Amino acid sequence: MNKIMYLEFERCIGCRACQAACRECGDHDAKERNYVEYVDFTESRQTFPMLCMQCKDPACARVCPANAIQITDEGVVLSAMEEKCIGCRNCTFGCPFGIPKFDFETNKMYKCDMCYDRTRHDIAPMCASVCPSDAIRFIDFDEMQQLRRKRTQMNLVEGKKPQEGNKWDYVPEFFGVYTDS
Amino acid sequence: MSQFLVKEGVKNQIRKGEKLVTTHCCYCGMQCGMHIRVDEKNNKVVGVEPRYDWVLTRGKMCPKGVTAYQTIDHPDRIKRPLIKKNGKFVESSWDEALDLIEKKYKELQGTYGKDSIGVYGGVSMTNEKCYLVGKYARVGLGTRYVDYNGRYCMSSAAGGFNKTLGMDRGSTLPWTELEHTDTFFMAGTNTAECHPTSIQWFWKAKDKGAKLIVADPRETATARVADVHLDLLPGTDSALANGIMHLLIKHDYVDHEYVQERCNNFEELKEMTAKFTPEYTSKITGVAVEKIIKAAHIFGKSPRSVVMFARGAEQQTKGVDNVSLYTSMALLRGQIGKFASGVATFTGQGNGQGGREHGQKADALPGYRKLANPKDVEYVAGVWGIKPEEMPKEGVSAYEMFHLMQSKQIRALHVICSNPVVSSPNINYVKDSLEKLDFLVVNDFFLSETAELADVVLPATTWAEDEGTTTNIEGRVIRIRKVVDPIGESKPDWEIIKLITDRMGKANFFPYNEPREIFDELRIASKGGKADYFGVTYEKIDEQDGVFWPAPAEDHNGTPHVFKERFATEDGKANLAVCDWREPGEVPDTQYPLWLTTGRVVFHYLSGNQTRRVGFLMEQCPEPFVEMHPELASQYQIENGERVKISTPRGEMVAPVKITKAIRKDTLFVPYHWGKELSINQLTSPALDPISRMPEFKVCAVKLEKLTK
Repeated sequence: MNKIMYLEFERCIGCRACQAACRECGDHDAKERNYVEYVDFTESRQTFPMLCMQCKDPACARVCPANAIQITDEGVVLSAMEEKCIGCRNCTFGCPFGIPKFDFETNKMYKCDMCYDRTRHDIAPMCASVCPSDAIRFIDFDEMQQLRRKRTQMNLVEGKKPQEGNKWDYVPEFFGVYTDS
Repeated sequence: MSQFLVKEGVKNQIRKGEKLVTTHCCYCGMQCGMHIRVDEKNNKVVGVEPRYDWVLTRGKMCPKGVTAYQTIDHPDRIKRPLIKKNGKFVESSWDEALDLIEKKYKELQGTYGKDSIGVYGGVSMTNEKCYLVGKYARVGLGTRYVDYNGRYCMSSAAGGFNKTLGMDRGSTLPWTELEHTDTFFMAGTNTAECHPTSIQWFWKAKDKGAKLIVADPRETATARVADVHLDLLPGTDSALANGIMHLLIKHDYVDHEYVQERCNNFEELKEMTAKFTPEYTSKITGVAVEKIIKAAHIFGKSPRSVVMFARGAEQQTKGVDNVSLYTSMALLRGQIGKFASGVATFTGQGNGQGGREHGQKADALPGYRKLANPKDVEYVAGVWGIKPEEMPKEGVSAYEMFHLMQSKQIRALHVICSNPVVSSPNINYVKDSLEKLDFLVVNDFFLSETAELADVVLPATTWAEDEGTTTNIEGRVIRIRKVVDPIGESKPDWEIIKLITDRMGKANFFPYNEPREIFDELRIASKGGKADYFGVTYEKIDEQDGVFWPAPAEDHNGTPHVFKERFATEDGKANLAVCDWREPGEVPDTQYPLWLTTGRVVFHYLSGNQTRRVGFLMEQCPEPFVEMHPELASQYQIENGERVKISTPRGEMVAPVKITKAIRKDTLFVPYHWGKELSINQLTSPALDPISRMPEFKVCAVKLEKLTK
């Protein structure tokens, strides 16, 4: 896998197709592992997708006393291993992004695993596949770099920049999650 | 262990023991390409997989598309015919149900004449089924009363296009060109929520510097990213379009050569728009003068622009005027018939385009032929094997059929693939009209609010249990494939129609064994008409990733881009619209001081009969809401989430409030996907457009009340 997940928040239309699609992934047991939030519904319709950042040094794995959270060679942070997870929920408290969730029925944690059964074959994760507005993309590192440069240029052309007092008008427009390949 | 399907460089995952069936989504006009995953051992649908090789949507799906397969094997499916006995539905055999229908139909037609039965179709069906509904009514039952739910959806666009361009193909260009467009002018459309997978094309263009102008009373997910958001009052589109054209002429953005050669009425239009100065336009529309001017300059300077609109502009008493005027904006700029430029309407229903071409409209015959034209009648009668004088005359539009039920001119109704008790305006009247019927038959696969009123419910199939063609938002004819066998004893609508016509003694007119035979007849019936499908074959659709109509000959590959040289009018010239602004059918007064407008949310489709049964979609949006501006809320001392009562002279409803700055201060918005006490269509106005007979869903006056605890 030589690709990264690239999020462009401004494109998010809040349709939650990514969440519906996440449920469709092979071993996700019809539970979504990503989220879409409103920045503030009363102010604007701006929404943003929330995925696992696949941190290089993931807090969830660091705080796991049972070493149940594995990181693949490609850098994908997996859900807790069933045989190791002791159900302590440390990971859910440890993650600064609130990504790991706890399934009280099966007594184990589950989280976005970047659709590892797809991405390791270079097939886009379900969320990035279906995202109608390309707010979530599964692209090459170089493409990501180009997009970031282009977005910055476009913002300059359009005169967009954050100003004091209009925090809701400006939303971070991209966030690249990438791993060493 | 995964296997892969590799086509044209894209990989799809196939899981062990499964196969992928290539088809399209059943919902909106985008008709997104998708694979349905089928467990081969049990022949059951188990999920969905993106289809990356489909040219228009490239694997993209909205939440409805992702979950569409969940309706196929849903526990609520009607699996056997239902007959109402003593007010309750009892399962019956097909024979028993058909016996009853035959008896009732023959009795009623024997006593009250052939026109005592009406047929009410829909456009979420394949072309084959839509075509057959028209033939069923006119040949099978011999009645003049047939119309369809597209009357609430596409008829104003059709009326406007016919008037201006001489032909109603919803998009004059293939959407794969949209990424090269410089400016999009979108009116009355929240395409981000209503056709989410379309948005990728606009943003692809935006990445190259394209501009987006959105005219909408709400700052929708589409308007949020617009360069100019024209927040107009509901029902003022025609003033806005006239205002923009006034500025196009004033600043000489008109393509004079194009207008001279290819358009009529320029001088009249100039005269009409003269009074629509930015100030006058602003007074009517409520849009700031500077925004109107900015929009006109952006639009006027663009080398390539596309004007697009949807129900917001069309569901009005002047829907046809609005469509004609917006289309004229594109004509003034010389955009129609050129690369990456043109005009398009967003099709709401899956087959909103094809379904309106094949003769289930009260006044139309297959191929967009007209009942009023004796030559058209003669041709289609010849294809159907009847005498021209046997062809019933024009009927009335969908909403007007309910008046005839009240006056007992229509005594029985067969509703096919539609839910008028939720989707019509003023539904208390509609429900009352259906209850006045002597006999109501409904084909559906879930017990819809309309089916609940029926005497007989016939179990139809979902889109995945039959095959056929649909025509997507661009005018591209595509193939829907059969994924699994019909569940239980359900049957496709075409088979049901065939069974009933057999009983009515018309078997020889309906000799079909499979949808392809119906399509081949449709091709001949449409040959030479405006919507000419003669050159479209199943094989060609597969070879070419769909075929754009018109395709007038067997060796013709279709017409992606229409009107390149001439328009479909008699003189080949487009007719620029000369329409003044008129007030909506209903305006606020002291008793009903606010504007009400309605629309969709991304999680539901039409009357919600399907999507309200899908767990994920209901979790996201379980009930309607009243969207209002914080200033209006504080004026009424209403808090977010509080339940309020809204009412019009036609009805009232209670719903929670969603407070947001993304709507005008004088307007309320409520989505329409729910039935009974949750239906906003209890309140909406049945005022009709004089040409299209489209009701004014998008504008009425409303009263807001805080509920006392």
